[in-house]
Amino acid sequence: MNLINIKAVSRKEFYHLIRDFRSMYLAFIIPLLLILMFGYALSLDVDNVKTMVVDHDRTELSRDFIRKLDASSYFKVIYHLRDTVAAIRYLDQGSTTMAVVIPPGWTEDIKADREAQMQVLLDGSDPNFASLSRGYITAFVEAYNRDRFIDFLNRSGKERIEPPVDGRIRVWFNEDLESQNFIVPGIIAIIIMIVGAMLTSLVIAREYENGTMETVRSLPIRGGEFLIGKAIPYFLIALTDVLVAVFMGQVLFGVVMKSSFWLMVLASTIYISVALSLGLLISIATKSQLVANQIAILVTFLPSMLLSNFVFPVENMPKVFQLLTYIVPATYFIDILNGLYLRGLGLDHLWPSYLVLVGMLVVLSNIGFAILKKEGM
Amino acid sequence: MTGLGSDVVYVKDLEKRFGRFVAVDKISFSVKKGEVFGLLGPNGAGKSTTIRMLCGIITPTSGYGRVADHDIFYEAEGIKHSIGYMSQKFSLYEDLTPFENIRFYLGVYEVPPEQWKDRIEWVLDMTRLHDVRDRITRELPPGSRQRLALGCALLHRPEILFLDEPTSGVDPITRRHFWGFIDHLAGEGVTVFVTTHYMDEARSCERIVMINEGKIVVTGSPSEIISEVFPDTPDSDLNDVFIELMSGRDS
Amino acid sequence: MSWIRIRELARKEFIQLFRDKKNRPLLIIAPFVQLLVFGYVLSTDVRDVRVGIIDQSRTRESRMLRDSLEANQTFRITHYKDHPKELEEILLRRKVDLAVKIGPDFSERIRRGDSSPIQILADGSMSNMASVKIAYTSLVLDKLNQNLIRELYHQKMDYGKIDARIRTWYNPNLESRNFYVPGIVAFLVMLLTLLLTSIAIIREKEVGTMEQLIVTPMKPYELILGKTIPYIIIALAHMIAVTLFAIFWFHIPMVGSAFLLFFAICLFLLSTLGIGLFISTVSSTQQQAMMTTFFFFIPFFMLSGFVFPIASMPTVFQWLTYLNPLRYILIIIRGIFLKGVGLGVLWPEFLSLMVLGLIVFASAVKRFRKRLD
Repeated sequence: MNLINIKAVSRKEFYHLIRDFRSMYLAFIIPLLLILMFGYALSLDVDNVKTMVVDHDRTELSRDFIRKLDASSYFKVIYHLRDTVAAIRYLDQGSTTMAVVIPPGWTEDIKADREAQMQVLLDGSDPNFASLSRGYITAFVEAYNRDRFIDFLNRSGKERIEPPVDGRIRVWFNEDLESQNFIVPGIIAIIIMIVGAMLTSLVIAREYENGTMETVRSLPIRGGEFLIGKAIPYFLIALTDVLVAVFMGQVLFGVVMKSSFWLMVLASTIYISVALSLGLLISIATKSQLVANQIAILVTFLPSMLLSNFVFPVENMPKVFQLLTYIVPATYFIDILNGLYLRGLGLDHLWPSYLVLVGMLVVLSNIGFAILKKEGM
Repeated sequence: MTGLGSDVVYVKDLEKRFGRFVAVDKISFSVKKGEVFGLLGPNGAGKSTTIRMLCGIITPTSGYGRVADHDIFYEAEGIKHSIGYMSQKFSLYEDLTPFENIRFYLGVYEVPPEQWKDRIEWVLDMTRLHDVRDRITRELPPGSRQRLALGCALLHRPEILFLDEPTSGVDPITRRHFWGFIDHLAGEGVTVFVTTHYMDEARSCERIVMINEGKIVVTGSPSEIISEVFPDTPDSDLNDVFIELMSGRDS
Repeated sequence: MSWIRIRELARKEFIQLFRDKKNRPLLIIAPFVQLLVFGYVLSTDVRDVRVGIIDQSRTRESRMLRDSLEANQTFRITHYKDHPKELEEILLRRKVDLAVKIGPDFSERIRRGDSSPIQILADGSMSNMASVKIAYTSLVLDKLNQNLIRELYHQKMDYGKIDARIRTWYNPNLESRNFYVPGIVAFLVMLLTLLLTSIAIIREKEVGTMEQLIVTPMKPYELILGKTIPYIIIALAHMIAVTLFAIFWFHIPMVGSAFLLFFAICLFLLSTLGIGLFISTVSSTQQQAMMTTFFFFIPFFMLSGFVFPIASMPTVFQWLTYLNPLRYILIIIRGIFLKGVGLGVLWPEFLSLMVLGLIVFASAVKRFRKRLD
C-alpha cells in the first residue's frame, strides 16, 4: 500500500465530487435530509386513537364515560353515531379504527352492581396499531373499574382496601416510551449503509464500464490503492452525515446519547468502512452499474431495514432468518447505537459488536482485494 | 420556396450556440438532388452539429433551414421519413443480432410487414451480413458493424442519406469499398450528405463546403477549390488546401 | 399512432432485458426473495415476553404471582436470579424484556392486608412493543389482585363494572403477516417500474442509440408507450405471481375482488411509470437515474403507511402522504385483502390514484422531448 498514491486518487475524486454539484447533493445532502425527515416523521407511537361512540343508553353516566374517554390523551372521539351500521362503514373506510358501543341498560346494570357489557370494535389490520389501541382501551376500562370499586367499598361501608400486589412498573432505557428514541438511531444505520454501499458500488462499477480499470493496470498504482483512494471522500462525507445527524437528532428531536460520544464516532467509522467495502466488493464482482445498483439495494436496504432488529424484533422471526441477522452489519451497529443511546453502556458491554464489525471489515475488504489480485491489479 | 428548384437541403444563416460557445456560426449552403455533398473541417469545426441540426436531433439557435421540403425548426418530424442517418459512433443495439436490429428499424420506419422479408434479404445481401445475421452485434468486427449501420439507415429507401464521419476508425480497404457503394447509391439518385476529415474521400464528392470554427471557409467542387486557393500551383491537392485553410490565414 | 412501431420497440426491450443474463435473476428471483423475507420477518407481534425474576420471598403468594405470569401464554420466565445486580445486568444485555423483583416481606404484607410493592423493570427501548408488554403485565397483576382479594376477604365483591368485549375485525388474531404481505405487491411493482423505465430510456441516451431513434419518424408518445409496455407486462406478471404466493404460501386471506386489485395496480402503474419517465428526463446517466430513483423511492416507502402508520406522523407529513401513490394503493390493497371492501368504500382512493397518475404521467410526457438538447 502506498499512501501517496491513495492520497492522489482521493484528492482527484474529491475535486470531481465538489465540481459535480449533483453527486455532492446525492452523497451529502440527500442522506442527511432523509435522516432528518424520517427522524421527525416516523413514529410507532399511538395516541389520540380516532374513536367512534355509539351510545344507545344516553344517560348521565354513559355521557360521563364518553367524556372521560375523549379527555384521555389516548383517544379522540370524532364521531357520535346512532347505530353500529354507520360505525362499521367508517371502519371499512379506515377513517377511524375503533368504535365503542354502549348498549341500552348499561347504566342500569352498573347501578345495580352487575357487570355491564360494552362492545369495542377494533380495526385489527395494522397489528401494531391495533394491539396498542387494545392495550389502551383495556387499561382505560380497568382504571374506570377501579374507581367503581372504590366507590363500591365506600358505599358498602368498608374501609378502603389497597390492592394486595402493587406492581410498580418502571421503564428503563426509554423512560418516556418514545419510539423516536429507537427509530432515529436505526434510520441513521440504514441510510448510511445504503448510501455508503450504493455510492461506492456505482462509482467503481463506472470505472469498470468506462475502462478506467484497464488504464489503472498500466499505472504504477495497485488496484487496491486506486479503490481505497476513490472510497476515502465518500467515507468522509458519510462520517460528516452521521455526525450532523447525531447533532441534529439531539437538537431537534431530543434524542440524547447517554454514553460516550467518541465510542459513537468509533462505531460509525468502522460501520461506514464496512458499508464502503461492501460497495467495493459488489462493484468488483459485478462490474456493471445497473447490476451493482440492484445488488446494493438488495443487500443493503432491505436487510438493514428488516433483518437488523430495527423495528422488527429478531425474536419474532423464524430460526433461518434469525441466523441471517447475524451477517447483517446494521444489526451490530444498531445494537451499539442502542447501547450507547439508550442504555448508557460502554465498551465493556459492547465490545463483541465492535469486534464483529471489525471482523466484517477485514473479511469484506480482503475478499475484494483478493479478487483484484487475481485479475492482476 | 425562394426558387430553390432541385435543392434538397437549403440552409441560410444557420446558427447553433451552446451557452456562450458558438458551435455553428451563421452558415449558408445548399445541396442538389442526387449530389454527393461533403462537409469538411477539422475536429470541432461544427460538422456534426450541423448534420445533427439538419436531421432534427438538436434544435438550431437561429437561421433558416429546409431538408426535403420541410422546415428544420417547425417540421423536424416531417423530415424523418425522407432521410437516413448514420452517426460517427456506432448507434445500433449491440446486444441485438443484425437481424433483430434490421427488423426493429423496419418496424420503426413503418415499412409494410409484407415487404419485410424482401427488405431483410436486400439489406443482408447489400451489407454481406448473411452469415452473421444471428450473431450478437457486439461480437462483429468493426467493418461489419459499419455496414450494418449503413444498411439500417437505408432500410426505408430514404431520398437523402446523412453520414457523419462514416469511415472513422475503418481500414483503408473497407473505406474504398464503402465509397464505391456511396457512388452506387448516388447513381440511383440518392442524395448523400457526408462529413469527413479525410481529404482523399472528399475528392469523391461532387461539391464541398469546408468549415472551420463554425464558419464556412470555402465552397465549390474539389477542382474549383484547389484552383481558387492555389491558382499558381496546379499540382496541389485537397490536402494542401485543407492544411492551408485550417492552419494559417485567419487565426 | 403506429402499433407496429410500438410493438417492435416493446419487443426489442424484452429481448434486451432478458438477453442480459445478469438481469434474469433480478427479474425473476429477487421478487420472491423479497416476498419471503418480508413475509417472515415483518412482525411486531408481542408473543413472547422473556421475564427474569428474583424471588426473595419464596412463599405461596410469590408462587401465585409467578404462576399467573406463566399462565398467560405471552410470558415466559427465562432467568431466576439471586441478586438485583444480576437481574439488572441481564436486562442491560437484552436477555430479558422484563425484570421482576419480589422482596422478602412480600407475603407478610399481603397477609397483613397491606399493599405489597413489587418492582418491575421493563425494557422500553422498542417503545411500541414495550407499551404492549406493560399493558399485558398490568392485566396479569389485576387478575392476580382480584383472586387475592377474593381469597383474603372470602366474600363476593360484585360491583358495577364494565366488561369490555373487544372484537377485533379484519385481522382477528392481529397477525402482522396479514397486514404486511399484501402490501409487498405495491412495493415490488413500484421499485421495479421506477428503476427499469428510467434506466431503459437513459441507456439509449448513454449508449448513443437515442440519436438513431430521433432521426426516425417515431413519435415521442410511441417511444414512451413502447418503452413502458414491457415493464407494465412484467409488473403485472409480478403482481399475479406475488399475490398467488401470498395467498397459497403465506395463507393470507383475500376477502375482496381480485379483479379490483388488478385494476388498482394498473392505476398505480400510471404514477410509477410517470415518475420513472420523469426521472429519465432529469438524468443524463444511468448512475444519476438510479440514485434519483432510489432517493425518490425511500421517502415514498417510508411515508406510505407501509410500516410506520400515517396517523402517527406529524400533521405536515400526514398531508404530504396525500401526494404519495403508495399511500392509496396500500389502503386499497389492504382494504381488498383484509376488509373485502369494494369500490363503494374505496372510490376516493381509486379516484386519487387516477388523478395523481394522470397528472404525473402527463407532466412527464410533456417534459419528455424527442431532441437531445
